[in-house]
Amino acid sequence: MINSEQPHGPAAPPSRGKLAERLLPGGEEPDPRFTLANERTFLAWIRTSLALLAGGIAIEAFTSGLFIEPVRKGLAVLLLLLGMMLSGGAAVRWLRVERSMRTKAPLPLPFFVPLLAGAGALAAAVVLVFILWR
Amino acid sequence: MLALVTASAFFLRWLPTYGPPILMLPVISGGAALAIYLTQRRRYRARSHGLAGESIEADLPAVLWTAFAGVALGCLGIVVVLVS
Repeated sequence: MINSEQPHGPAAPPSRGKLAERLLPGGEEPDPRFTLANERTFLAWIRTSLALLAGGIAIEAFTSGLFIEPVRKGLAVLLLLLGMMLSGGAAVRWLRVERSMRTKAPLPLPFFVPLLAGAGALAAAVVLVFILWR
Repeated sequence: MLALVTASAFFLRWLPTYGPPILMLPVISGGAALAIYLTQRRRYRARSHGLAGESIEADLPAVLWTAFAGVALGCLGIVVVLVS
């Protein structure tokens, strides 16, 4: 019986796109499970961002009887701004984590977690004050 | 994808208040959801082959487009709230 498979060396790394070469330079492809985990974390942040955007719209659309207009608009803008920043921040974090994994460097801390916690607490406090005040 | 569809439905709630221009928001979120739906099989196949071959290239365009959709939705939402 003839073995038709030819012996060959390690597979050549797949060619990367220009964008990937530019934004994720150097290093080597990390363990695929880590890449996928990083992507799942990014998607979790995007879901949070969409929830904040929907919350901002809900505040603006459904609470005209609860809040005076400046507070309603302020809260809506705060939540929309937070959702927008979270969306952009999630991409930046994904990039930073991916770069760190490629170069086997320590993972960066999430810079927007304190911001999200502070702004979320502020929005909740405003809502609480208005609900108790009415 | 379902979160984007839900967000589209929320944006539609603004339609009676702000009129047709607000349709830009559900078009962006619905379009992003549709793009994810239409490409998910291809991405799933690439991922499963990558896992089998122990090498996956990071899906940079998908991440950047998703983030851009979120930023655009937030931007347009703020403009709508402030201009109205």
